[in-house]
Amino acid sequence: MRSVLCFGDSNTHGQIPGGTPLERYGPKQRWPGVMARELGDNWHIVEEGLSGRTTVRDDPIEGPHKNGRTYLWPCIQSHTILDLIIIMLGTNDLKARFNQPASEVAMGIGCLIYDIKELTPGPGGTVPEIMIVAPPPMRDDIKEWEPIFSGAQKKSHELALQFEIVADSLEVHFFDAGSVVDCDPQDGFHINQQAHENLGVALAREVESIGWPHEPVQNT
Amino acid sequence: MPDMRFAPPNPLRIADRATGLNSVSVRSYNERLLLSLLLQNDGITRLEIGEKTGLSAQTISVLLRSLEQEGLVSKGKALREQGRVGPPTIPVALNPEGAYSVGICIGHKNTEIVLVNFVGEVGFHATLPNPSPSQNSNHPEFLETIQKAIAMLPKGTYDRLAGVGLALPESGSLVGGEEQAIEQKYAALQHEIESEIGFPVFVQNDITATAGGESMFGVAKPLTDYLFFYLGAELHTRLVLNHQIYNGNSALSFDVGILNLEQALQQQGMPTDPLWDRSSNWPDYGQTQKIWEQALIERLTNSCLALTQFVEVDTVVLSSYAPRDICRTVCSILEQSVPGITAIAGNLNPSPKAVGAASLPFNSRFMVN
Repeated sequence: MRSVLCFGDSNTHGQIPGGTPLERYGPKQRWPGVMARELGDNWHIVEEGLSGRTTVRDDPIEGPHKNGRTYLWPCIQSHTILDLIIIMLGTNDLKARFNQPASEVAMGIGCLIYDIKELTPGPGGTVPEIMIVAPPPMRDDIKEWEPIFSGAQKKSHELALQFEIVADSLEVHFFDAGSVVDCDPQDGFHINQQAHENLGVALAREVESIGWPHEPVQNT
Repeated sequence: MPDMRFAPPNPLRIADRATGLNSVSVRSYNERLLLSLLLQNDGITRLEIGEKTGLSAQTISVLLRSLEQEGLVSKGKALREQGRVGPPTIPVALNPEGAYSVGICIGHKNTEIVLVNFVGEVGFHATLPNPSPSQNSNHPEFLETIQKAIAMLPKGTYDRLAGVGLALPESGSLVGGEEQAIEQKYAALQHEIESEIGFPVFVQNDITATAGGESMFGVAKPLTDYLFFYLGAELHTRLVLNHQIYNGNSALSFDVGILNLEQALQQQGMPTDPLWDRSSNWPDYGQTQKIWEQALIERLTNSCLALTQFVEVDTVVLSSYAPRDICRTVCSILEQSVPGITAIAGNLNPSPKAVGAASLPFNSRFMVN
């Protein structure tokens, strides 16, 4: 059995575009669920998606619990042993209140990678496989969210390149979600059910293509 | 001391969206290691790459991503084998259109020029008379011909051209019927091509280049050790151990090649033009050909026996300009006369030496030595 942690924000939580954090796609519709279906029974998928989660920033308005870095430690230790950790974050760091360029968001992703490497939650206390997923770029029209994300749209297009640079330098896997899905026009930065399906399938293929060193031990 | 974790990222390779081949200087050892494996294997999984290189899955992921971005590698389709447990195997392979190379060889009578793609498929081939060195310049006609050949390359291949490989015969061999040393004759050729045409030129002895071509594109691809023979005007030999071609100082060649047959045929007034025309089969030369074949096989047998006293090599590759049927016949007789030896006829077409020359830029730019 291999275990995968999906660490993300509202687009991992499965928040419905144009809805509130209480409106959520079902477990089999969300991309971690789709990926679980695609990967089959030998995989255990852990969902950890929180609306508003940032990479490393305490949110002065929504609260410090949105900080991905402080939560990542207890989260990983709760779910260890982990063969793979997928991180899809970054959009919330682009909120106007943080005033950060895309490269700083990528530095935040780098912090999370370093933390995982220090925690060594992989089999036998090793560093697990780490996959950075760049979120799909926001649409220009983000409806009533415009003031909160003012100026974020342009930066969101730069995340994929900045994340890939960090992934290259820290030698981890990388996938650009924008290569397979777009955000839904309902609110311009959440992904709809079809996108969850497409992303889940694409990520399953990425996960499979990692040169896994041996067949997982059966301990169901 | 500052915490280096929070220094600006220092990527193995800067991820960018530029197209075209990266310059030679930025290609890392590990990237070359990976490309070497891909050039030596037709399809290889990431797991196999990891096992052969000792690199981690994450590092391989970074390297493959950058090679995919550069267009050198295409991601293979997942192979879902029936009844197989676990994830499907996804082979990684070179993108045939990812890189091109021009190969030029100066032969006994003619100069051959080929364009090959990244997997060795020949897209263009021309045969020209050998350049005749003039007094003042080195070889203007020759240079002009190469320029013409490059001008005939398909559109869109220029920025993917890895370079020009130039295979030159050993000094003292019979090119142009002149005694002048090859080194002097072609000394400035590399520099001239580079400055006139603007592509890097890689020069190698023609026999060594041909062995390299058989290793990269031909029948020797799966072989790590073999004894290589090239049957041209004369018979030449090289030893390949662990993919490395031993290129000794000895310019030894044996007068049992096609030239020897030609002389025998001429004495009997038989036509010899078909001998030098790669595109056609030889006519039935009867007894003369039989005698020549016997002498050739005797020479091959002696070389094999002499070598196997020192090294354990069980495969012979016979590469030649001669028709493949002839080579196959020679190979099967050789197998009978040297027990335990497998003899394989080379399959580089239309000119083994030129295709071998075309392997040189790939070798220098993409592989580990």
